[in-house]
Amino acid sequence: MWLAGIFPQGHPNLLAPAMGALKRIAKPAVEAHHGLPVKVPTFVSTDLPDWDLHAFCREHNWRVWLKGPYYDAARTPTWDSFVAARDALAKVWSTDRLFLQAHVTGYEESVMLAAYRGELLDCVSMRKRDITPEGKTWAGDIAPVQPEFGEPLRAMVRELDWTGGGELEMVRDASGELWLLEMNPRFPAWVHGATIAGHNLPALLVEAAAGVPARKSQAQASEFTRVVLEVPVREDYPLPPLAEPLAGAVGHSMKHPSGLTSLAERLHKSNPELIELVEDMSEGADGAPQLPDSFLHDIGGYDLAAVQTPQFLYLDSTAGTLFERASQRARRLSSNEVQVVSGYSIKTNPDERLIRLALDNGFLAEAISLLEVQKALEVGFRPDQVILNGPGKWWPEGMMPKERLHAVFCDSIADLDRCVAAMAAGEMSSRHVGIRLRTPNVVSRFGIPLDSPMTFGKLVDAVARLPEDSAFGVHFHMASSNIGVAQWWHLFESMLKWCESIERLTGRTIEILDMGGGWFPDDWHAADDDRFARAVERVKAALPGVRQIVSEPGKAMAQPSMAVAMRILEIQEHEDDYVEAVVDGSIAELPMFAFQPHRILRQCADTGALQPLGRGKTHLMGRLCMEHDIVASNVALPDGTRAGDVLIFCDAGGYDRSMSYVFGRG
Amino acid sequence: MYLVEAKALADGELAQAPSTPLPSDRWESFPFSRLSHHGSACCDLAREWVIAADYAQLNGGGLASGPRWLRQKYKWGPSAWPMHWCEVVRLDTIDCGAHSALAHEVFAARGLTCFPGQLVQRYSTDATDQWRGSWEAAQSSCHWLDGEHIYHEATALLVGEDKLQIWDGSAGTWINPRQGRGYGSVAAVRIFADAPLAQHPGFHWGEQRIRPNVWNQIA
Repeated sequence: MWLAGIFPQGHPNLLAPAMGALKRIAKPAVEAHHGLPVKVPTFVSTDLPDWDLHAFCREHNWRVWLKGPYYDAARTPTWDSFVAARDALAKVWSTDRLFLQAHVTGYEESVMLAAYRGELLDCVSMRKRDITPEGKTWAGDIAPVQPEFGEPLRAMVRELDWTGGGELEMVRDASGELWLLEMNPRFPAWVHGATIAGHNLPALLVEAAAGVPARKSQAQASEFTRVVLEVPVREDYPLPPLAEPLAGAVGHSMKHPSGLTSLAERLHKSNPELIELVEDMSEGADGAPQLPDSFLHDIGGYDLAAVQTPQFLYLDSTAGTLFERASQRARRLSSNEVQVVSGYSIKTNPDERLIRLALDNGFLAEAISLLEVQKALEVGFRPDQVILNGPGKWWPEGMMPKERLHAVFCDSIADLDRCVAAMAAGEMSSRHVGIRLRTPNVVSRFGIPLDSPMTFGKLVDAVARLPEDSAFGVHFHMASSNIGVAQWWHLFESMLKWCESIERLTGRTIEILDMGGGWFPDDWHAADDDRFARAVERVKAALPGVRQIVSEPGKAMAQPSMAVAMRILEIQEHEDDYVEAVVDGSIAELPMFAFQPHRILRQCADTGALQPLGRGKTHLMGRLCMEHDIVASNVALPDGTRAGDVLIFCDAGGYDRSMSYVFGRG
Repeated sequence: MYLVEAKALADGELAQAPSTPLPSDRWESFPFSRLSHHGSACCDLAREWVIAADYAQLNGGGLASGPRWLRQKYKWGPSAWPMHWCEVVRLDTIDCGAHSALAHEVFAARGLTCFPGQLVQRYSTDATDQWRGSWEAAQSSCHWLDGEHIYHEATALLVGEDKLQIWDGSAGTWINPRQGRGYGSVAAVRIFADAPLAQHPGFHWGEQRIRPNVWNQIA
């Protein structure tokens, strides 16, 4: 790009593509790829609001890569790892303009090409057969490019008027589909490997430019591998001195690989339009999130000036609408054969207002302790509207209701035996008794494991001990916000298969299926009914004895229902527009800060208007004298923000509320 | 297959072979391996577990992904036959016949079209001597070893209309159809297809054409 910046139209003596061609292969979109039999993995710019980036990660099961504008990529399987990698990459490349791209599982392969003035001279395909820890080629096999790829490639090269080498890096998935990761405007490092196989592309390029015939390459093999070779260093060109290790630091003294990062910084300053190659994909994005109107309406109903901060704000109409909508969906999905009902997980937020909303909207109450059962009963749930779950269902001793519960799910074989004994002794009664299955292949500490035929056999034997006068059921739970939405639906399908096996092996018919949970609100509420309707149909087909499906949205109900108001205590401005603002809230009120972004509003002191905070260089530091008490990073405070202004952290009604703790209050 | 039967079959086929035998002649009428079922709950449970565990292991990935988890569960080595479902799930080490039988079961359970596959592969006499030692030490049949050639079992997966991929469950890899010679190369392939695919004129495996139910010599 540096060269292209100097010779934007190319140069007769320059065997490299011109600026126009470079712009059309800029990643991640690689605009010029149309026509090639490839797809480009889905991507988004990190200019988007954090809220949307978190959604992208969930949608793609947290199998995503954060990539820089030139090279470098980091796997970001969790939100906190994403935030850390974004900070690190932004520093390395001197730009915030990064992108997130969905991972594609498969085998890596590349096509190398040489072209001169738009004419494809040759191209060759290479499959990686061994890779370095960084994923770089160590060995590969070489083959001709198939015509179905080669012909559109020829057309692309002509359209780009390409001169020089090039490489298309791709992944072939399990179904044989090719995914284009990027196109590099240069010969790849394995260029000599292809020469070993009889394809000397640099020679062809020089031949085309110079008119001097290249010597024909002889193929020695169709595969190549690298070796590590130690050679003597000539005395007249000795090794340079090693860089001094940073004092007290751990690790070698090397710099970031190559001087490209320094070059990038220089390029951004001397030639800012170059970075537009990766910037224009999110035109107009300012990092400010969209907020539901009901948030603004509910928050606007508070006299924020009079609110003693930090303070949780209950969003009345927002909560009411969410519960009503879930109730309506359950009714729509129900039929004469199968009733669909929602379960409210009390632990997500035991606020009585939410529990009452659940009751009024036909939810069942999902409790994980007898104190939670008690809370549900106090609000008005009948015992036969309560589901008891989890390993702590006997805690505290002596509080088990004598009345019949709706369902009890055993968390272990020992728990099952205790439940069976308690029911036989008349100490516990439940219309449904079942088991919680531990999610196979997804790490969980809950439920009865399925990880070996022996443990599965124990489960089957245990089910035979369950009382026949209670209907049998199965429960599974995994937070879709942690594993991703598609992964959750795969888990659902997988669980149906396990349930079918359990029915066949035990002879017990599953009559209640309780599935959750931990849904991120947007994934739950925005999903169309069709997806859930298809799931109900799948249950009917796989488990025809099921009469009730309990759907547990988890935090999807509670999280949007509350916000936290905090006041700015002080604002410190530093170099390069970096700002630190201290607020009177903290991670004690926002314990989920590392797991999810929060949409933040600032109330303008002059107009009272609520303004969403976009992306910027401000860090919001909590009041605690704890190094990690940073409640938000990289936000922009609107002009005119001053100490005393109120910030409202939305999306704090779930575990932020129920797991908030008293700290630093004396 | 019992050891005595295996040896008799292999020796008998060798005696009937032409003067310049093909690598596959020794195993001309050799059957592919199948897991046995006791017809009772013990094998029901084992089979249900394998099928359900395989789907769970897919992890949301493509259905045509190779079941590599089976190779992670089992080492490759000598096995005693016949082998029942309830036995295979308790083992740590299984041979290529058991590996391919399991892979065939899980591919089929995913709803994919797949075929039991037999291969003759070229290695070296040094390698086969070493394997012979291991198998004899375990008192297992060495019918699968013949000079520099070995008999091997794998699972062929139909991709699209007539393209094959061959999953080597013992290695946890897809066999490279491009490797025509050298250590580990495939000398012959036979896949077993039932009607209507039994009459197929030839599936594509890389540049090769593989007719079902006969040994296909790989050039």
